[in-house]
Amino acid sequence: MKKNISNIYRLALLCSIFAITIFNFSCSKDPIREQIVDPPDTTPTPQTYENGFFVVNEGNYNWGNASVTYIENKSNTLIQDIFKKSNNRSLGDVAESMKIARNLGYLVINNSNRIEVVSLKDFKSVSTITGLNSPRFLEIVDSNKAYVTNLQKNVSIIDLQTNTISGTIPINGWTENMIMYDKYMLVTSIGIFSEPSSNRRSQILVIDTRTDAIVDSIQTGKEPIGIVFDKKQKVWVLCSGGFDNFEVPTLIRINPELRLVEKTFTFPDLTEVPSRLCINPTNDTIYFLKNGVFQMPVSASALPVEPLVSPAGRLFYGLAIHPVTGHIYVSDAKDYVQNGTVYQYNATGALIRQNTVGRIPGAFCFTKNSTK
Amino acid sequence: MPLLIAAQKLRDTLQLKEFEIKSTYASDNNCFKRVKFDSGFLVNHLNSDLSTILSQNSTIFIKSYGNGTLATPSFRGTTAQHTQVEWNGINLNSPMLGQVDLSHIPVSQFDGLEIYYGAAGISNTSGAFGGVINLVTNPDWNNRLDFLVMQSIASFNTYTTNVNVVAGTSSFQSHTKFNYSASSNKFPYYNDFLQETVHQQSASFSLFGMSEELFWKLKDKHLLSLKFRYNQDDQNLPPTASNYSTNHVEKLNSKDLFAVLDYKLVEKKYNLLIRAGFANQKMHYRLDSTFDEFHQYDQWINKNRFTYTGIRNLSIKAGIDFTYDQVMSDGYDGMKTRITTSFYTEINYNIGKKVKTSLVIRDDLINGTFLPLVPALGFEFLPWNKTDLSFTLNLARNGRYPTLNDLFWTIGGNPDLKPEKNYSVELGCNFRQKSKEGKFSIEMNLTGYYSWIYQMITWLPASSNSTLWQPENIDEVWARGLEAGANFKWEIHHFTFSFDNNYNFCHSTYQKASSTYDHKIGKQLIYTPVHTLNSTLSIERWKFYLNYNFCYVSGRFTAKDNLSYMPGYTLSNIILGKNIGLNKFVLSLQIQINNLFDLDYQSLADRPMPGINYAFTLKFALPSIYRQ
Repeated sequence: MKKNISNIYRLALLCSIFAITIFNFSCSKDPIREQIVDPPDTTPTPQTYENGFFVVNEGNYNWGNASVTYIENKSNTLIQDIFKKSNNRSLGDVAESMKIARNLGYLVINNSNRIEVVSLKDFKSVSTITGLNSPRFLEIVDSNKAYVTNLQKNVSIIDLQTNTISGTIPINGWTENMIMYDKYMLVTSIGIFSEPSSNRRSQILVIDTRTDAIVDSIQTGKEPIGIVFDKKQKVWVLCSGGFDNFEVPTLIRINPELRLVEKTFTFPDLTEVPSRLCINPTNDTIYFLKNGVFQMPVSASALPVEPLVSPAGRLFYGLAIHPVTGHIYVSDAKDYVQNGTVYQYNATGALIRQNTVGRIPGAFCFTKNSTK
Repeated sequence: MPLLIAAQKLRDTLQLKEFEIKSTYASDNNCFKRVKFDSGFLVNHLNSDLSTILSQNSTIFIKSYGNGTLATPSFRGTTAQHTQVEWNGINLNSPMLGQVDLSHIPVSQFDGLEIYYGAAGISNTSGAFGGVINLVTNPDWNNRLDFLVMQSIASFNTYTTNVNVVAGTSSFQSHTKFNYSASSNKFPYYNDFLQETVHQQSASFSLFGMSEELFWKLKDKHLLSLKFRYNQDDQNLPPTASNYSTNHVEKLNSKDLFAVLDYKLVEKKYNLLIRAGFANQKMHYRLDSTFDEFHQYDQWINKNRFTYTGIRNLSIKAGIDFTYDQVMSDGYDGMKTRITTSFYTEINYNIGKKVKTSLVIRDDLINGTFLPLVPALGFEFLPWNKTDLSFTLNLARNGRYPTLNDLFWTIGGNPDLKPEKNYSVELGCNFRQKSKEGKFSIEMNLTGYYSWIYQMITWLPASSNSTLWQPENIDEVWARGLEAGANFKWEIHHFTFSFDNNYNFCHSTYQKASSTYDHKIGKQLIYTPVHTLNSTLSIERWKFYLNYNFCYVSGRFTAKDNLSYMPGYTLSNIILGKNIGLNKFVLSLQIQINNLFDLDYQSLADRPMPGINYAFTLKFALPSIYRQ
């Protein structure tokens, strides 16, 4: 009897060795890479990507999971991760922003230190611009030239004909948003990234686009992150007050002709930090995020108190105003470790639609035909 | 000396006991799950690091950021911060981060490894909801003088050198160990982002370590030991695949010193342990020109244990521990300190021969505030006298105090954090049998666990400022699972086979959403595999040994809504070696092949891992010179 029992064990041993061997050899030998179970696409690949808008999903820092979601409201089209679908490779690490120039899309990939240039027709890569220093935003100077802000070292000059870096404008530190005024590019400059706010020099740099030289600067509050123009040709700059809550956030109005701060609106709290300054198509109402979406006529004498769209548990992260319709596009990044959602509201704050998008939706880019 | 004996001596030198790789740790109480790896198991892995042997031989999941870089352990559906790593009873977890990098703990620096699962860790510490990994060094009181020199040459220009000198008598022992390893670590991998095969950049490392352990024994009554361990670590941290660059500069230099002085008094009816320890870690982190930070912590430890065994079937332990942490960090606003006093009692009582009970109560007093009581109650039931079959049950409540980074990191640290809470239940079954002649043995265990974590600390973007991350007591996690182990050993026709298997099923889910828009309720924790399996088949004959290891890790979700994941993978590794007796020396040759089937895999998204790679090891030992 005893002998039988140990035979059973021996048999069990041999069987388990056999099972493990089979299991081992039956396992897939495909490369092990992150797989995304996207919310289903509504249609197969559309004929063209020229009729909708793009949601730029940053992705997590150092995870390499940035993506672009394409949405076309007219036809109810929604396609996730179009860059990967068109190019068979991932977009990279931390997609910061997107701009359209000469019917090409310029995707600024911050932590991959590059700009992916894609055709708007099929989103296939046309060119890749490398050699940037943690790029942030691209702004078009003219049909031949664009500037790119960087977290470090300089502003890069891009030749839009060849899609190469044609030069750099040395700047000690982090530059963020830009806007063209006359022949000048106004660049928000935050200071040296690794320094605390107390040591950072916050200013608007005035770059003469004819000579690519810094010709002037305007002092601002700490961390000027947003810049827009209004209908009276005034420049509005949103200053967050510093990542270390150095000072109270401010919204300032600048006369670009005189290069002087005309008015400063001071936010009530040190820790409630506004972001994502935008303006509507008629250039008379500015928008920003501060937990919720806030709306403020440029003629207002005080900052708005109540949000137009309250967050109700959402973590609003990206904001854009449609350049034609004036609709509000705001993204919820949730806890940054799951898919985000994009909400579309009309100018009075009524919800029109919502879509699930990729990881950490931060920026939007609208094509000319995306008017609906 | 005849060759055969010389070879035998080599094994003595290395304290190689039987072929048995693991055995359930037979300590003073078996109501809690403890597993021990002895030095015999470690001997073929002296050129590896702790993360490698744990991922190959236990169900602890190792989150690896690449070859030779950061690797953190987690088990039972918890995180690296719920896993405590100890060295001779001294905590190696940094009080700043609350976790340990296992990739830079060389196997050669310890003689044995104990894993305490779940509530078993409460005897050592609070807060280790997953468990405790204890690295131990032990004397064997043999009269001898041994030398061991080992050189390993591995792929990607990796060189590892070990020198061990063990000297001693029956009352005094000295263990001296040196290790040095260096690698350029430029392994090739296919970069999906660049769509070409590239060599990993900026991943080189060098690690120097030394340890000295002195043991005295007086009249079999007084035991005194002094151990210290120093490591110096210079690492380049590699870029991720999508951030690939040939001029990536990210460096981490660290210097660690641990020292511990133990005095143990062993009397018939009681014993007393007094332990004084010191830890110092200096870290320097640099990333391009953006970060350049120094962190340093000092820790003083005092542990006192009194055990009374004067009453039949009863043992009572009482203890008091003091820990003082002091941190200077560029990430903090000034120096931060923490004083922890722990009160500890353990009562083990046997009701007849069939039932054993254990009650452990611990309470931590941190900076003058008592944490909730940490109790654990365990039972072991042995229904049959002749069959080695036992059933265990234990219940526990545990708590974890936030790390100093959670509290004080500027910017983001949240001084208002509350301790995390954990309730757990565990049911186990262990079975052991040996055939009459002892040639065949089997060992099996099955454990089910069920645990809730409340007020779990998670770093989240702040709603008031989307660029600011802050820790909050926000998550609630429900972890439940099964662990199964089956070890076989079979000696036949002078062959020795052993076959060891571990399987873990773990379903660990988020149970609370931060808002109605949050889709994580009921979803598996990110980077927590549901299934892990590893098997090792060893064969020995004619002083040859062959070791085939295979591990399977199932898919790991990378999103809290479980809409993205890293697919599961299996890895196979082989070790083939031979011990050769040469006059007065013993020479061992060993060839190791890792990732045998050259699987192109990533454990963490965007962190490349090497394909097939080799290590060749030469070990040269001067066996014991007995001075009888």
